[in-house]
Amino acid sequence: MAISRIDTTGMKPLSFGDPRHLEAHQFLVDESYLLDAQLYDEWLANLTEDIHYSVPVRVTTARSSDFDTSPGMAHFDDDMYSLKLRVARFATEHAWTEDPPSRLRHYVTNVRSFETVAAEELFVQSATLVFRSRGDNREPDFISATREDILRREGGSLKLSRRLVIMDESVVRMQNLAIFL
Amino acid sequence: MNDLSQMLADVRRGMIPAYVYNDEEVFKLEKEHIFERSWIFLAHESEIPEPGDYVVRRILEDNFIVARDEEGQVRVMFNMCLHRGMQICRAELGNASHFRCSYHGWSYRNDGKLVGLPFHNEAYGGEDGFSKSGQSLLPAPAVETFNGLIFANLDPNAQPFREFLGDFAFYLDFYTRQSGDGVEVRGPQRWRVKSNWKIGAENAAGDSYHTPQTHRSVVEIGLFREPTGAKRKEGALYWCDKGGGTTYKLPPGTFRERLRYVGYTDEMIDRMESSWSLEQKRLISDDGFMISAATLFPSFSLVHNWPKVDANADDDEVVPFITMRVWQPISATETEILSWFIVDKNATEEFKEASYKGYLMCFGSTGMFEQDDVENWVSITSIAGGSMARRLLLNSRMGLTSADKPLNTPLADFHGPGLAYVGYGEFNQRALLKEWADCIERPLDQKEQLAMGEKILASGTKGREK
Repeated sequence: MAISRIDTTGMKPLSFGDPRHLEAHQFLVDESYLLDAQLYDEWLANLTEDIHYSVPVRVTTARSSDFDTSPGMAHFDDDMYSLKLRVARFATEHAWTEDPPSRLRHYVTNVRSFETVAAEELFVQSATLVFRSRGDNREPDFISATREDILRREGGSLKLSRRLVIMDESVVRMQNLAIFL
Repeated sequence: MNDLSQMLADVRRGMIPAYVYNDEEVFKLEKEHIFERSWIFLAHESEIPEPGDYVVRRILEDNFIVARDEEGQVRVMFNMCLHRGMQICRAELGNASHFRCSYHGWSYRNDGKLVGLPFHNEAYGGEDGFSKSGQSLLPAPAVETFNGLIFANLDPNAQPFREFLGDFAFYLDFYTRQSGDGVEVRGPQRWRVKSNWKIGAENAAGDSYHTPQTHRSVVEIGLFREPTGAKRKEGALYWCDKGGGTTYKLPPGTFRERLRYVGYTDEMIDRMESSWSLEQKRLISDDGFMISAATLFPSFSLVHNWPKVDANADDDEVVPFITMRVWQPISATETEILSWFIVDKNATEEFKEASYKGYLMCFGSTGMFEQDDVENWVSITSIAGGSMARRLLLNSRMGLTSADKPLNTPLADFHGPGLAYVGYGEFNQRALLKEWADCIERPLDQKEQLAMGEKILASGTKGREK
């Protein structure tokens, strides 16, 4: 298995034809539509109550170092409470940074799924390229990142219970992260 | 740029030519007159606690290794090999006993001393051709620390830091010395915004007026109860020597009750009681003000807020957090923000985690306050680039009458140093830009050149002491 940030002991890769892989892949594609359209209430409904959504700060370190994220610092380190507040804020009439709204596109690719020791959970890796355009003539911004997700089956459908986003840049070239990755 | 002396005169009377936020010539002046001879924040000592720990930081295009050497001393070294100018350290942080140049293999100890020069005898005839002994990476011309904050100055003849800092140190203690052991920091988050660097610095220095409008949404969602228009205008604005800031007026109470109100625990308040001076404590207990945002000229800002962090808490159960940031100019129209989370080193792990969470929700790259600030600043910068902005003088005279008299009298019984006013006013933004104008007007000194390893010095250059 490729390098992962989480403990992959006991995990087994699923073939691309495996129904569980197809279901996980569909989850990510459907999620992208919600994030692009900023349908955040619907997005929240696809998260488990114990969601941990984290985006550590990526740093440039020597190859011999055993870390490449900033110790103890993240961009997002969110639970359901803080995610709900962020979403509630966008729903006010005074979240200026998204009014007018950004035009967003989450491209999701390189999806790999793994069965885990927990029967109801899948581990899913994916790559994402997020395009964000603001205003009529500004240069657009991009974020390239890899995602490591735990999808858990709850009430018959998959929900996101953990997302770790590892950005490919150290310095974020976007005015803020008033979006989800 | 329009006429320089006219521009400076306009700025000094509080009428800001809008183009100063987007002008290449103004930015060139700022680089040479301000950033190449002001005290610029680089790092906090807690980022490099162990011998060999280092971070790499910049002042403009100058790249420095900030390292703790084997003796425990903090070194700030220009990150350029003395030989062919290669960048010696290409990581952002780590731990190293030595830095070896990837080009020709010259190596330097983590205190900067040159210790390895391949084929010294064969290539240079030893010390005769290149005097290796006593050579080291070029140190930053001036370095000082205060409460663990490491500042550097590119001007070797700079005013000493403590003299420069003056009594603004009084206010800095509230953020960075809540106990005798000081603070620890996490980060920085780094992100680039298409905004002129001055806008953030001015905002943090004194813009209590923007809060009710820009940050209305965070009150609406119950994240932070304070920044309403009614509350902000009760706060004091202070300016002292080279920095200034905003405060909130607290409800009646003692020193302890007022610190509890913003979420500090009793054991933290005990430590504040013993580490702050009587006058510092009286700012809270007698005057009833709690520090919020602040800026030290030119580009170092701090924020102290107390949001509701826990989902299950009552509305009055809040947790304070502190952040500091550098507005690092990239160009006239772009700034890299480096934003750290700060916390009392002696706080409990539980407090540190809750405070960190509060920081992430409110400030930094994802902060629900800062998101809207930057949206505004990017717009200002963009629209300041055209010809109409060359004609428009922005009115930054809030708090003054037409006769230049303050609308309100300065606080007579304020326990902090400097001058303080209650109510809205752009006193601090004007003070910051007055400092800016004075710096731009002050002529440049001749820069010295330093020749490395050369025994007979060319005329007009000055060698370093061996």
